[in-house]
Formats: sequence, structure tokens, C-alpha cells
Amino acid sequence: MKKTLTLLVASTALTAAIGVPAWSAMQAPADGVLRPIAALFDDASQAMPLVLASDDDDDDRWRDGSRRGHDDDDDDDDCDDDDDDDDCRGGARNPAPAGTTAPPQNGLFGNGAPPQVQVN
Amino acid sequence: MKSILATLALTTALTIPGLAMARPVTLTTTLNNYGGDGAYLALYVTDASGAYVGSLWMAGGKSKYYEHLSDWYRATGGDTAQVNGITGASVDAGRTLEITLDLADALFDAGYTLHIDAAVEDMRDSPNEVAVPLTTDGAGTPVTGRRYVASFAYDM
Repeated sequence: MKKTLTLLVASTALTAAIGVPAWSAMQAPADGVLRPIAALFDDASQAMPLVLASDDDDDDRWRDGSRRGHDDDDDDDDCDDDDDDDDCRGGARNPAPAGTTAPPQNGLFGNGAPPQVQVN
Repeated sequence: MKSILATLALTTALTIPGLAMARPVTLTTTLNNYGGDGAYLALYVTDASGAYVGSLWMAGGKSKYYEHLSDWYRATGGDTAQVNGITGASVDAGRTLEITLDLADALFDAGYTLHIDAAVEDMRDSPNEVAVPLTTDGAGTPVTGRRYVASFAYDM
């Protein structure tokens, strides 16, 4: 019994002594620089990017990620309202509504009457 | 007296061409009953080479949704300064948006095209929903959009 146990321990030690360096050599980078075995695990995790599975089959649909409510008559155009956490994208503010400032100087507008709008 | 008359003539001569360089133009956009929430619409102009020139109107006040107006967004980088002072509410299905703008005469018969991008919550985005050349002959002629716009016309 003792002999069997000794053989088992010896074979395990032998496998570890031969197998781990061999595996390390197989995983060594092309530049030949040897690194600790633990680094291999780090590399593996970096080499395999996290892939997020999604059930969205088309990408041009107005999705929940950027939902808005029925805000047609909602004239609050600031970024600091307290309704949710996605008020402004990248810190960009909402544009100034018509009538509060002059149209942009893009060469399309004359200097006459300000824009008039109505919805029927 | 003579100098006053000369001054008057000069100011008149300078003013009249200025007045003639722009005219009120009414843009009328009617949406069909697509069965969704209010639509965001971006009305903008490109030149003969297809390059973005500027925006005429933005229907929809929250900039976080502008990425869905994908052609406009690509051309402007989502710059809200492009639509400062020319932004209003989104437009409900079946409604008609009527905008009257003082537009430069140089926009017409010079190869410019008016585009409309449209987007509706939980529905497909529709870049270039409408593309209509700006010509004096084309005024008053309604065109149909691809998905949400039942008709669009400009009148001078």
C-alpha cells in the first residue's frame, strides 16, 4: 500500500515537473522571452475579448437604451432634469428651441422674420 | 438737401438687394399614421457634391436621440449648435408640421438638396426619408417619403 502511494506521488511529481515546462514552452511568445507561468493565464484572459451576446438583429432601430417618453409637448430641454440618468449624451446639451435664439449662421437663412412653426 | 437725397438713394440702393436675397419659404411635412410615438425629424441641406451645408429644422428637442437621425448625425457629429434656434417638438403620427423660414435665394436652382431624416421610438430609423432638389420649379410639388412622411412640399 505504501509502495503504491509512493509510486502515485512520484508519477504525479514527474508529470508536473515535465508537463508544466513543456506546456509553458508551447505557450511561449514568438519573441522567445520567458515569462512566469501565471502570466500565461493573464495573457489568455486578455487575448480572448469579452463577447456580449445580443438578441438584437438589426441595429437601426430606436431601442430601449435610448428611450424617450411621450415628450412631444415637453419643452424641458435641459440636461439636469431629474427624471432619469440619460439626459445628455456625452455632456452635449440640448439645442436652444426656436424663438429663444437666432437661427445658426449657416448661410441658409436671411435676416428677415424668425422661424414660424405650427403643427396641425 | 442734395446730400440727404444722395444718402437716401444710397441707403435704398443698399437695402433693396439685401431684402431680395432671402424669401419666406414654407416647408410642409405630413406624417402618415405609422402607429408609433412622435417622430424626430431633421431637415437639412446638402450641396451639389452631397456635402452637408446646414440644417433648416430639427423636430425633437432631446439631443440624446439625434444619433437615430443617422445621416444628419454623421454629417454634423451630433453638434447641437447646428440646430440652435431652429428646434421644435417632435411630430405625432398623422400630423402636419408647417415651418416658415426666411431662406436665402441662393439656395434655389443652385444644386442644393433638402433632406429629411426621420426616427421613431421602437421603430426603424429612416435616414434620407426625403431628398428633394431645391428649385423654383419644384415649389409646391409634394413628394412622398420612404417610411414615415406621407408628403413633403416647399412653397415660396
